Amino acid sequence: MLETDHKTFEAGQFWLPLDNAAKIFPATVTSELTTVLRITAVLKERVRIKALMRAVTLIEKRFPYFQMKLKQGFFWYYLEHTGIHFPVEVDDKKLCRKFPGNGLLLRIPVAENRISVEFSHILTDGKGAFEFLKSIILIYFRECGIPIPAEYSFYRPDEDISEEEFEDAYKHYFKENYPPIVKRSEAFHLPFKLKAKPRFDVTHAGISIKSLKPKAREKGVSITDYLVSVYLYTLQQIYLDFYSSKRLKSRKPIRIQVPVNLRNILPSSTMRNFSLFVMPGIDLRLGHYTFDEIVKMVYHQMRLETDEKLIHKNISRNVGSERKLYVRSIPIWIKSLILRIKYYSLGISQYSGVLTNLGSAKFPAEMEAHIDHFNFIPPPPTTMLKVNCGIIGFGDKLVLSFGNITQSDMLEKRMLEFIESQNVEILYKDLPVS
Amino acid sequence: MKRCKNCGVILEENMNYCPLCGAPASEQAAGNEEDIRIKRRSREDKPLTDFQRLSVWQKRKLFWEISGIILLAGIVVTLIIDYTASQTISWSKYPVMVCLVLFAHTTLISFWHTRFITFSIGSFFANAAFVFILDIFNNQITWSLALGIPLLIAIYVIVVILIFIIKHARKRGLNVIAYSFVAGGLITLFIEGFISLYAKAQLQLEWSPIVMASVLPVAALLLFIHFRLRKVTDLKRFFHI
Repeated sequence: MLETDHKTFEAGQFWLPLDNAAKIFPATVTSELTTVLRITAVLKERVRIKALMRAVTLIEKRFPYFQMKLKQGFFWYYLEHTGIHFPVEVDDKKLCRKFPGNGLLLRIPVAENRISVEFSHILTDGKGAFEFLKSIILIYFRECGIPIPAEYSFYRPDEDISEEEFEDAYKHYFKENYPPIVKRSEAFHLPFKLKAKPRFDVTHAGISIKSLKPKAREKGVSITDYLVSVYLYTLQQIYLDFYSSKRLKSRKPIRIQVPVNLRNILPSSTMRNFSLFVMPGIDLRLGHYTFDEIVKMVYHQMRLETDEKLIHKNISRNVGSERKLYVRSIPIWIKSLILRIKYYSLGISQYSGVLTNLGSAKFPAEMEAHIDHFNFIPPPPTTMLKVNCGIIGFGDKLVLSFGNITQSDMLEKRMLEFIESQNVEILYKDLPVS
Repeated sequence: MKRCKNCGVILEENMNYCPLCGAPASEQAAGNEEDIRIKRRSREDKPLTDFQRLSVWQKRKLFWEISGIILLAGIVVTLIIDYTASQTISWSKYPVMVCLVLFAHTTLISFWHTRFITFSIGSFFANAAFVFILDIFNNQITWSLALGIPLLIAIYVIVVILIFIIKHARKRGLNVIAYSFVAGGLITLFIEGFISLYAKAQLQLEWSPIVMASVLPVAALLLFIHFRLRKVTDLKRFFHI
């Protein structure tokens, strides 16, 4: 492993090309479609601000690759290191709002008993953002007098920074001459009316993991598979309602985009984007599906699509198109236009919703006693997707956060109603952000 | 344990203000903040001179009046000297005209300096009138319409475009010098062009293309340095493909 001298990370000197996944985001960012994700730790006690400020100061030097601003080059955007400190600010503003130009691409909103991080997807994915928040929380608790076990592995402020942490892992796993991927047909999209701007709103629901786990196990699937199935089943219900009322004319497949943390499949310690997605779905042209049928399909599709060879194929397809000389040699302002069109026509039109599960947050037992739960809010959905869902577990609480830009909360309500009907305990729902 | 009433975080006992939101941490601190506000106000209420009390508009008007009085005094004094010396108005009409043009420009600077287009058009007409009147002083209209005013138009158009480009440049540095060089080169082309049209009734360019040819590579080099070589690493960064 290569170790990098801290002196290398000087403002204006250290720079990084955008990783493969991030390349599209600068072209698509708007004040509504901010590509900003948020993770919140809700503590049992109020935040001790002095300890938190110290923790953030300590952690700053450990993550120089997050202390970056976005700059425009001639062919691509790139990230340039800046001396700006990580901003700790009062959490009283709009969620996941766009980062102003020429500033950092992350912020640390804090209020009462909540410590959050908001990251632009240009910088990292949910996993990278969570590891960052985890480091802050660990050091925060240490500053509050709770020791971190010596053997506990996390990003310690005094350790050397490995170059692997800020590498573009997609490029690392790129292989030439992979066959192209067949384009999927357009999927069904929720027919709800959009809200007035600013549209983005979030509702949370807490589910008891103790009561959910046996249900998933009963079907022989993971919690993610189970919730994806619930999502698909609910979308099918909504679809049929609108179809029977003749507000929809043609039958289309329903697909859910489920981001997959590639670090679990391909070894990498990158803290930048390294995720792909799988798209389990059902084709309504083939008829109505029961919940059990959906669970079975989701289970198999998830396993099939996370096959290592197929992941390699997807990475190679994505990186391959970025490496094509004619793509590289187009000036960025033209490239941005094309990327924007491609993003809407090819990317988001293929799926009906997004469900992203960050997994279960784990901390040393002494610290866990002071944490109530976590929230994970994915970046605001597009006007085509309208609603998305972020999931994160802690202790017995699995929190579902629905990002919604429409006037309807039908999807959230029906999903929770279905979960409840399966005798899974809903701890709370429809709470404002907390 | 102290708690911030605004953002709800826990503060240290010795904190007077919340480091997160800046709200005062206690009644005492709130009082202190009031003290600071009163002190600031009392500082602001310090007696001002008559000039300091004037609004920006009044200050501008004062500048215009003073410059007007000085120029008018100059005109009167020049006319009296000329008339007393030669019992007629002869040479004094030239400085009088210069004073009038200067007065027109101080008026424009005082009241329309923020309106770029109005300022430019006003300034052009003042100078064009000056050129035209100077020509009339010779009792016939000769060079002003054929040479003076076309040259003025060319210079004004080039300078206006130059200022517009500089104003809208994202970063100003060597690029300003480069643009000015190009503008200078263009002006020389027009000067020679109009002079040759006026004097020889045909367009014949001799020295000005050489000026332009010398200026262009220098401008290109300056622009290259400005945009590409600001930092040594910028080239690699900016053009990474």
